[in-house]
Amino acid sequence: MEMLKAIAIGLPLTVLVTILALMIGTVVALPIVAGLRSRNRLIWLMSRGLVDLLRGIPPVVWLFMLYYGISIGAVRLSALQAGVLGLGVVAAAYLAEIFRGAISAVPKGQWEASSALGFHRATVWTRIVGPQTARAAIPAYTTFAIGLLKDSSIASTIGVSEIVFMSSQYARQSGSGILVFFVAAGIYILLSVPLGLLSRHLDVKMRKAVAR
Amino acid sequence: MEQLMIELNPQTTQPVVQVKNLAKAYGSNVVLRDVSLSVAEGSVTAMIGPSGAGKSTVLRCMNLLEQPDSGEIVIDGHCINAGKKTSPKSLAALRRSAGMVFQHFNLFPHMTVLRNVSLPQERVLGCSREQANEKSMELLKRMGLADKADQYPSRCSGGQQQRIAIARALALGPRVMLFDEPTSALDPEVGVEVLEVMKELASTGMTMVVVTHEMAFAENVADELVVMADGGIIEKGHPGQILKDPQHERTRRFLRAVLER
Repeated sequence: MEMLKAIAIGLPLTVLVTILALMIGTVVALPIVAGLRSRNRLIWLMSRGLVDLLRGIPPVVWLFMLYYGISIGAVRLSALQAGVLGLGVVAAAYLAEIFRGAISAVPKGQWEASSALGFHRATVWTRIVGPQTARAAIPAYTTFAIGLLKDSSIASTIGVSEIVFMSSQYARQSGSGILVFFVAAGIYILLSVPLGLLSRHLDVKMRKAVAR
Repeated sequence: MEQLMIELNPQTTQPVVQVKNLAKAYGSNVVLRDVSLSVAEGSVTAMIGPSGAGKSTVLRCMNLLEQPDSGEIVIDGHCINAGKKTSPKSLAALRRSAGMVFQHFNLFPHMTVLRNVSLPQERVLGCSREQANEKSMELLKRMGLADKADQYPSRCSGGQQQRIAIARALALGPRVMLFDEPTSALDPEVGVEVLEVMKELASTGMTMVVVTHEMAFAENVADELVVMADGGIIEKGHPGQILKDPQHERTRRFLRAVLER
């Protein structure tokens, strides 16, 4: 019972870190995608470099750097802030690549039809290319979200008291060893399976409507 | 009445589409060399020729889907010069005057048939949704597709999709319709549906430019036939005359290939 209580205390933070990092990642990914699609070589190079930098360094190193390395004046980031921010910017790099791929999966004819009809650029993005990109990105996006859910446990290394943090604390205190981690694993599965189901459901539903 | 004639006259003699000295090359690969063409109001111009002749490129240059290297395009008084930078405003005006129908339809797969036809009216003409839907239904009825309005394009046959695409272009009230091999992606039997709609359109006096391999359409519906080969126009004139008595050896060879198979 104590064991479940420990995990239950960690659960909200796991969900919070995942959702916030995903939100930061999604928002920050958009300008990066724009940069990756830019015809300006300098902007392209900077975006490319940023993605490779964010992806190339392990997330746990990012968290350490943000948590221990950065102080803005006298203010230091809290563990939660550093965790969310670190996982968020790393997510942005991966999501940018996912979005870029989804955009280029939209057939050229869709752009041509939009131009020929005289749509403004904003209309093309919001009504034609955007929705089709979103559909194409759903499977990869949810796969990434499930990955992020589990990677949120990395935040335990800087002391964010999410599921894994609480589990290891409990394991140390109670001496009951490995069992708590099995329970934690079960919780992660319970969280990620519905996400996967939802994603597949959406994907199938949309495919049915628009299948060529 | 007399005054009306005088007022109407300059409009009817002025060509709707004028292409002057169009040229385009990809590196050393010349796609178009010095193509000039004018399309009279209410006429149907068919463009034929072997593949790679540049027919589609000319058509796609007309509404700037391809950027020509040099030359001038005038559609319904909207002039675009390839040498100068085009303002988005004049580009929009030119594209609004020209309706485009593609070989592969290019309908929006994530919208119903009705939304496909209505959205451009709302976004480009600023129609309300009711106005747009009313016009769309009228056009879909004319295309014989009223019952498909709430379906997604993927549920429609190729011939139906192409007719939806024609409705979508017509809904913006273009002065000229550009058809880029509209039946090439269709089974011959299905292509007939599309050709019927195009014939009906021609009979209502719509100005049309049609890149096609449909020789019967070129002969029976077109007023003007343009034969292209190797990036240039090699012959143009009355379809019956050219098909009966081609002047150019290249035309003869092409016609032998398409007619005597």
